Amino acid sequence: MKPTILSAVAGAAALAAGTAFAADDTRLNTVLERGSLLCSGHNGSFLGFAEVDDQGNWKGVDIDLCKALAAGLFGQSDGNLEIVPISWAQRWPALQSGDIDVVIKVSGWTQSRDTELNLAYSRPYFIGAFQVMAHAETEAESVADLDGGSICVSAGTSTERVLASYLESHNIDAEIIVFEKGDEVRTSYFGGRCDGLIEWAPSLAAARVEAEDPSAHVILPDVLELEAEGIIVPEGDPDWLDVQNWMLNSLWYAEAQGITSANVDEFKANPPSTTVGKFLGVTPGYGERLGLKDDWAYNMIKEVGNFGEIYERNIGSGSPYNLPRGINALYTEGGVFYPMIID
Amino acid sequence: MAKTYHRPTLLDHVRTRYFATRLDTAMSVLFGAITLWILWSLLNWAVLDAVFSAADKELCGHDAGACWSVIDARWRLILFGLYPFEEQWRSAIACAAIVLVTALSCVPWFWNARRLPVLWLTGFAVFYVLMAGGYFGLKEIPPQSWGGLSLTIFVFAAVAIIGMPLSIVFALLRRSELPWIARTMGLVIDTIRSLPLLSIMFTFAIVLPFVLPGWLIGDKLYRVIVGYALFFACYQAEIIRGGIQALPAGQEEAAKALGMSYWHRISYIVLPQAFRNALPPTINQFVITFKETSLVVIIGFFDVMASGNAAFGTAEWSFAHIEVYSFVALIFFVFVFALSRYGAYLERRLAVASR
Repeated sequence: MKPTILSAVAGAAALAAGTAFAADDTRLNTVLERGSLLCSGHNGSFLGFAEVDDQGNWKGVDIDLCKALAAGLFGQSDGNLEIVPISWAQRWPALQSGDIDVVIKVSGWTQSRDTELNLAYSRPYFIGAFQVMAHAETEAESVADLDGGSICVSAGTSTERVLASYLESHNIDAEIIVFEKGDEVRTSYFGGRCDGLIEWAPSLAAARVEAEDPSAHVILPDVLELEAEGIIVPEGDPDWLDVQNWMLNSLWYAEAQGITSANVDEFKANPPSTTVGKFLGVTPGYGERLGLKDDWAYNMIKEVGNFGEIYERNIGSGSPYNLPRGINALYTEGGVFYPMIID
Repeated sequence: MAKTYHRPTLLDHVRTRYFATRLDTAMSVLFGAITLWILWSLLNWAVLDAVFSAADKELCGHDAGACWSVIDARWRLILFGLYPFEEQWRSAIACAAIVLVTALSCVPWFWNARRLPVLWLTGFAVFYVLMAGGYFGLKEIPPQSWGGLSLTIFVFAAVAIIGMPLSIVFALLRRSELPWIARTMGLVIDTIRSLPLLSIMFTFAIVLPFVLPGWLIGDKLYRVIVGYALFFACYQAEIIRGGIQALPAGQEEAAKALGMSYWHRISYIVLPQAFRNALPPTINQFVITFKETSLVVIIGFFDVMASGNAAFGTAEWSFAHIEVYSFVALIFFVFVFALSRYGAYLERRLAVASR
């Protein structure tokens, strides 16, 4: 038995080397040769997605995705991942110049970025919804219940336009109160100046944490508009983009199968189906096609868990933000996300 | 009857200055009350009602004053940024080394062309070895992970060390007797001075890697420092040129008549006096340079401003931005105030020489 496995591994290695040779200039090979992944961080912090703890370690949804990617590439992220602090404006040039290998930085998929900036987007991993938060005492359960009330919004942002067009198209007669700055909007909402407050959902969750009594505010489930956040790599590098997409697929697949960081070892020891066995690297194929190790998905799940775990730990019920998963859940739970077929 | 001279007391002073007329009295009382009220509320907020310990975080709220718990919990993040937690002592000693060197270079004994550069290069080398590691069994830490106050100080010190000699060269080139050298230098200086610092930093950090050959690119941090030093040198060169041109032409002519060579004239006659003339604007330039280091945030460095942002950028502390900004402001104040007091001391000292 042993020689067979050995020769299979050798064959896989040779094949991997072969593909590596064929496409030498892909970012994947650059990263593997360097032995570490340069992933985008933040200059400062972006609540829930890229924060720094008391000891100067990064955490957040985007950071966990960086960790997952590094763990998939190298077996573990520790020692193989560098989070490069980077500003919003700098992320595209830094990606093109090679200062970072991949942008995972809550960046919306827009047409101009996709075409004019020569960027390639992975499938979205987070849907940033514009939602409304209301005082619990209004007993509103949807935006329509705020009919006759008032909603606070920041001036000059796309949020204002989103709110106006939503109210118009749904025939809701609510007064829009515009404020110049983000702080002002929140202060006036908490001061009772308006019944509702519209913002990007994760920001709303963060605002609710700041409130004197967070339970006195409800985030209404209506989604007024969406922004799809994806992982970005330079255009014209399909191998590297494949790795991003299959990383996300693996995280969702694991969630759909109920594989978590806690029970992944049991699944690996005793896979319930041949597909799961292949997925976790028990039988070869899943990593090799991408130029990675066959147990790469196992390494990712072992380190950061499935997508649900990442979400709950950083912005969901396991975090102070307590943002309901909503549209970001798997399709089986009413969300829009689904894994691709693993064959 | 002889007029007796009435020596004014403090009370007279106050009366004539602040309570001479009814309007004066009203104004004094009004503004005095406002000032007292502001100071009192500030004291209340910052000290009396404030919560100091991270353990008492629950006491922070809308009735309490400042919530210094955030500083108690996050000061290491603010001071050292992303520097690995166990290695932060290195960052602390490195900062102390630079502060010590700065303090020592204020001592007149060090003021000559040999001691001062040696002092600074030694201090800088100590700082660099401690921060970067890789020698003496210290773990290697790339500039990506540097941050907080030590990064701010590093950028400032490096810009000063590279920029100062460069500015002297620029100033001398601009005063060259060969017109094509003087004109070219003038053009370079004026071009760089007409560009905003931010765009220079952006160019050096982001655009240069596309044009330079691979071996010349180096780390983003060093590129930014070179760009900033160039910017600093152009301003400082003009300040030094001002100092040189304020000298009477006779000085240099007399030196020429004595048969002194160009380098002797420059280093013994012209530059020492030019520096004295240019001292106040030079201190000013240093203060501006120190404050503008916070611009590196924009190109993604974790300096003291960015790590301050990160300190309140988490669910636990997101309400405490005023406290964090006050703390960062205090850090800047300590450095800038020390610099400006030192400048004032220098001016007094030099005034003695010209008396």
